Amino acid sequence: MTPVHATFGEVAAERRIASVPLSHVSVELGHLYMEDYEAGPDRLREQFRRVAPWLATVRSLWQERVPGGRARVSTCFLVDDYFSRFSTPAELVPMVLEAAAEHDLTIDYLARESACAQSGGVELARLVEDRLVDDPPPETDGSRPPVKETGWLCNGSRSPRTAPLQAMGKARPWEPPAQNAKRGHSIFVDVELWDEKGPRRTWSCPFLAAVWQLLRLGLLRSDGRVPLPPVALDGGWPRDWDELPAVVRLNPQAAPFSAYTTLSVLSPRFLPVELAVRTILSQFAVDDEVLRQVATRSEGEGIRLEEELVDRISYVFV
Amino acid sequence: MLVMGEVHTGLLQNSGEISESTCRQVLGLMAGETVRVSRRPIVHALSPERLTGVDCALPTASRSRVRGVGTVVSRCAVTGGRVAQGSSYARVVRSEADRRLPWSHYLARPGVVEVLGKVKAADLAEGFTGDTVPGRPDGACLDLGAVSGRFLDLVQQSPLLDRRAPFKIPRTNLRWVAETGEPSIRFTLHAEQERTLRLTHPGPFTPAVVDLCEDLATHDWLLTSLLVIVERARIGGTPGAQAVARLAPAIDHLMHLWMPAARVEEWMTPFWESLERRPGFTRQWRSLVDRVRDQVAMNTLALLSATAEAGRRSP
Repeated sequence: MTPVHATFGEVAAERRIASVPLSHVSVELGHLYMEDYEAGPDRLREQFRRVAPWLATVRSLWQERVPGGRARVSTCFLVDDYFSRFSTPAELVPMVLEAAAEHDLTIDYLARESACAQSGGVELARLVEDRLVDDPPPETDGSRPPVKETGWLCNGSRSPRTAPLQAMGKARPWEPPAQNAKRGHSIFVDVELWDEKGPRRTWSCPFLAAVWQLLRLGLLRSDGRVPLPPVALDGGWPRDWDELPAVVRLNPQAAPFSAYTTLSVLSPRFLPVELAVRTILSQFAVDDEVLRQVATRSEGEGIRLEEELVDRISYVFV
Repeated sequence: MLVMGEVHTGLLQNSGEISESTCRQVLGLMAGETVRVSRRPIVHALSPERLTGVDCALPTASRSRVRGVGTVVSRCAVTGGRVAQGSSYARVVRSEADRRLPWSHYLARPGVVEVLGKVKAADLAEGFTGDTVPGRPDGACLDLGAVSGRFLDLVQQSPLLDRRAPFKIPRTNLRWVAETGEPSIRFTLHAEQERTLRLTHPGPFTPAVVDLCEDLATHDWLLTSLLVIVERARIGGTPGAQAVARLAPAIDHLMHLWMPAARVEEWMTPFWESLERRPGFTRQWRSLVDRVRDQVAMNTLALLSATAEAGRRSP
């Protein structure tokens, strides 16, 4: 008898990672907080007026870069329903869409900020927190667990405590913190990821913004599945934010929500927030398999992506 | 250049073996990541992988200072609901830069430690698996053992375990180095619980190499533990019933776990097979198992004849 080649498989023993459709670039047209809402529709119109030329620019840049000029560009808009609740989707969304249309902008996807914390049984924020790998200061050899200040993340070594440990001890003179990858001098950044009052954890704005970037880059998976895929809305806008899907597809012809790269057009007042976001994302470990999927796909269409996650994110501060 | 890793293996701190669903909870180290479980031919559960950042000296036999920066991959496993492992490894490669780069550079290469400056692979391999415990008198040196130990602790400290292990048995540590080349394998027992493995495999490194090292570590631990239990039973030096009672934990908890190469990819099985020829892990295991069973059989016979004797004497 000839030898029989047997194969045996077990589904629970394999790791299956879903892939996600990807555009070339995801452009965030705006991020609406309560203060913007309170400032009235003129603030929104002003935002869209400033964004419009940059969207046109990024579109033409990608059209030049992609063979055949078929650039896939999707646009999105984020509403803060996490730090403060204001208005209702039924009232707010039509107003936003109208203001965008005045500047010939189409918002393809609308997302809720609270979804970056938790939505549909998926705690995206926890998922991202678990994948943070602390930037090790020199002489970190694995012998001790990483030095952590619970709920904080920094890009180097903090200043040693200056208060004396014992009443009799002498106070140590101040020593500076240090950035790990400094070039000559340090720019030390320490970011608060969350705080807790009683049992409730509140994620910080930069942390949720980091989750938002990862969602737009299609780099998150929950149990191997793509979390919060965009949903088209049947019927009208609900009266409660909780009834609104995490990510709503507004334009049926839209290019995919997630993309190889992202561009956010923001007011310079968000600069510190985005520095914090980059500090967090520099310490986020994307799943190996997901990294490979995206690399294979982009190379398949002749696009070389930046290796490092933070280099796939760009901004226009206007 | 090469891959270095360390596996710590120990008895799960629980009175009995744990179920598959408990395994999933104990090993759920990361939100949104599933624990992989295979059921044939033995239940084996593997945690998701986590990364630890390092920036320190690497062990070298020449004691020259070599700096490595990058991430170490770690994971935990439970075999047969009974044997727990913490395992870490890193692929060591030459850095293209001569200085430390931003951290995002290293996170784009998970599980890779980049060497700044010049080093020979043999110097690292020898430094890591040599006779002395890797380390430098003058400062921090990559301590994969501490990382693996912490991951094993993470399992052992799970609130789902009752921490009433049926017997005490030491952990074993297996330090390994894998390189590409003509196939060869060298397994060395050092003092106490230290073991080293030098592996040369054809083709590039794949995680199958790690699976092989973990499988070897599991079986080396089983063999070591069974030897300890048989030794503690003091067969021949204590009354039969007492010796058999001391052997009971082996029968209850260990003897069904021997499944060499069960989780090893087919192209790696020749490595296991060559170790089976010399020193012959399974040969030694079978001889020990036979010894335990013979003791039980002898004791049963003695009990039976004693009962029969008692029956004849009674009116």
